[in-house]
Amino acid sequence: MSSSFVPATPLNDLAAWAAQKPAQSGALLTPDLVALAQSGVSVTLASSTSAGQPIVGLGVGCRVRPDGTLRVLLARAANADLLAALKDGRPIAVTFTGAPDHRAFQVKAATAKIAEPLSDDLPEIDRQCAVLADGLVEIGFSRELAEGYVTYEPDDIAAVEFCPERVFTQTPGPGAGAELTR
Amino acid sequence: MTAPSLDALRPALEGVVASVIATCDADGLPNVSMISQVHYLDPERVALSYQFFNKTRRNLLATRRASVQIVDPETMRQYRLDFDYEETLTRGPLFESMKAKLAGLASHHGMEGVFRLLGADLFRVLSIEAVPGPTIAHTAQARPLLAATRRACDALDACTDLEELLDRATEVLEAQFGIRHSMVLMAEDGEDRLYAVASRGYRSSGVGAEVQFGEGVIGVAAREHTPIRIGHMTREYRYGAAITETARRAGLIDGAPRAIPFPGLAAPRSQIALPILEGGRLLGVLFAEAEETLRFAYDDEDALALVAGHLGARIAILRAGESDEDAPTPGEKLPLAGVVTVRYYAADQSVFLDHDYLIKGVAGAILWRLLREYQATGRTDFALRELRVDPALRLPAHAENLDARMILLRRRLEERQSCLRIEKAGRGRFRLAIACRLTLEEPA
Repeated sequence: MSSSFVPATPLNDLAAWAAQKPAQSGALLTPDLVALAQSGVSVTLASSTSAGQPIVGLGVGCRVRPDGTLRVLLARAANADLLAALKDGRPIAVTFTGAPDHRAFQVKAATAKIAEPLSDDLPEIDRQCAVLADGLVEIGFSRELAEGYVTYEPDDIAAVEFCPERVFTQTPGPGAGAELTR
Repeated sequence: MTAPSLDALRPALEGVVASVIATCDADGLPNVSMISQVHYLDPERVALSYQFFNKTRRNLLATRRASVQIVDPETMRQYRLDFDYEETLTRGPLFESMKAKLAGLASHHGMEGVFRLLGADLFRVLSIEAVPGPTIAHTAQARPLLAATRRACDALDACTDLEELLDRATEVLEAQFGIRHSMVLMAEDGEDRLYAVASRGYRSSGVGAEVQFGEGVIGVAAREHTPIRIGHMTREYRYGAAITETARRAGLIDGAPRAIPFPGLAAPRSQIALPILEGGRLLGVLFAEAEETLRFAYDDEDALALVAGHLGARIAILRAGESDEDAPTPGEKLPLAGVVTVRYYAADQSVFLDHDYLIKGVAGAILWRLLREYQATGRTDFALRELRVDPALRLPAHAENLDARMILLRRRLEERQSCLRIEKAGRGRFRLAIACRLTLEEPA
């Protein structure tokens, strides 16, 4: 661990939020969160059915467009119910969790759009997955396990696009889950 | 249609790969976060670790539904489970076994002091869905635990006395399960304390080492009557610190140490403690540990729990036959060489040979009684039965662990290699073997 290591805590997240402006005008996320989302972290998603049943899902990467729109990339087959709910206009939540420091944040939006992957998505997913696998090895996973965890089918990728409407710190510790507001 | 069963999913419930939980509020707004533990309870129920009062918690109390994704670390196969919240437990066996597991996980993730179990949230499984996606071939050979358990129980059945049985228990853990470090501790009659009577795989046997109820995985397993297992090193469940404190307290009487160090591994990463019960009563604890992480899984726990259960039944059977007593046989008189001073401190019933601590408590009182009678009459042959009814020994009304006490006393004397021994002399009988002159002192 380097001497510049700052332990991830919800309080540090709140301070970092207060000290920065949004990365893009009209958007919500600060530059460090934009960076964290695209830095090879684990990407977890949720939506709900109209009957109020939550649906959990896993992503394989995330890209942030210049206008602040998040593009969360995920496997279609594994997330069929989740994608169907989003297509129905159900709300979305996405949490990004870093390894090994567990720094995490969650974004939510009332709706999301489902899109096809772009030609340069796959190399970026590969890059993020490689970083995540290294992070998992650092916290004690075997290389085989870490590689297995980030494996995906390139032909089976969808993109979920939305503009975050609310942001929460999700780093474990006192204050976890607090909303980051302006 | 049969109810969904979690039995085949247990490798995914060890916490190797973090699980993900989605909930939603009354308006259907979702929330998603990592969860440290999805703990297997039975084929239809799990318990989730409740660590912080957060959105997940609020949502669960409001809508009771959760969608959880788990990963089998051997195959990377993923499962999506729908749960219905039932209740939260804040104490008891399930809570304690999750608390211990969480302590290991917290320490593994550098989250000691951050991850703290506030409750065990019980859920019923509504559905289990295998998530389509890439998996990896599972190459590791599963250990044939059922066959190993059967052989272990057979080996215990062959034992004809308690001492042999307790030693055999640690032997079969190595022979049948490849567990190289283990011990058996017996509960003290009427006290919230255990003491080691048999061990295997340690530099010093540690026989006589004491563990208080609630201390480490052993003490929690004893207090809660439930198996406790940890897959990562954690300070919270170490014996070192607590034992040092016990030793310090115990040693306050006149400065000399009156405790035997706990023999465990210096850096255990996996530990498991299984209560040895008989008719709901705690007889002792079977304990095993390893230097590797995640050495003991759900299946190992099941197997070892069966062995511990069988051990409890065998102890009870041997004790039921304990009233059988052989006729006394004359022992051979040993030539006496040298002098040893035996000191007895009534306050804690501790016995010192010359200046070295030997034993305390009931075992100390027994030894002192035997030696005084030997000194007065020259008698060396004794029956367990007469100790049991001797008011001077202050034994509890149902001192069922007297046999274990005698094993402890005999082993401590053997380890000291002193001129003073206790030998078995047939069923229900034992004999003092004394090869030196003794001076008995009882300081005020």
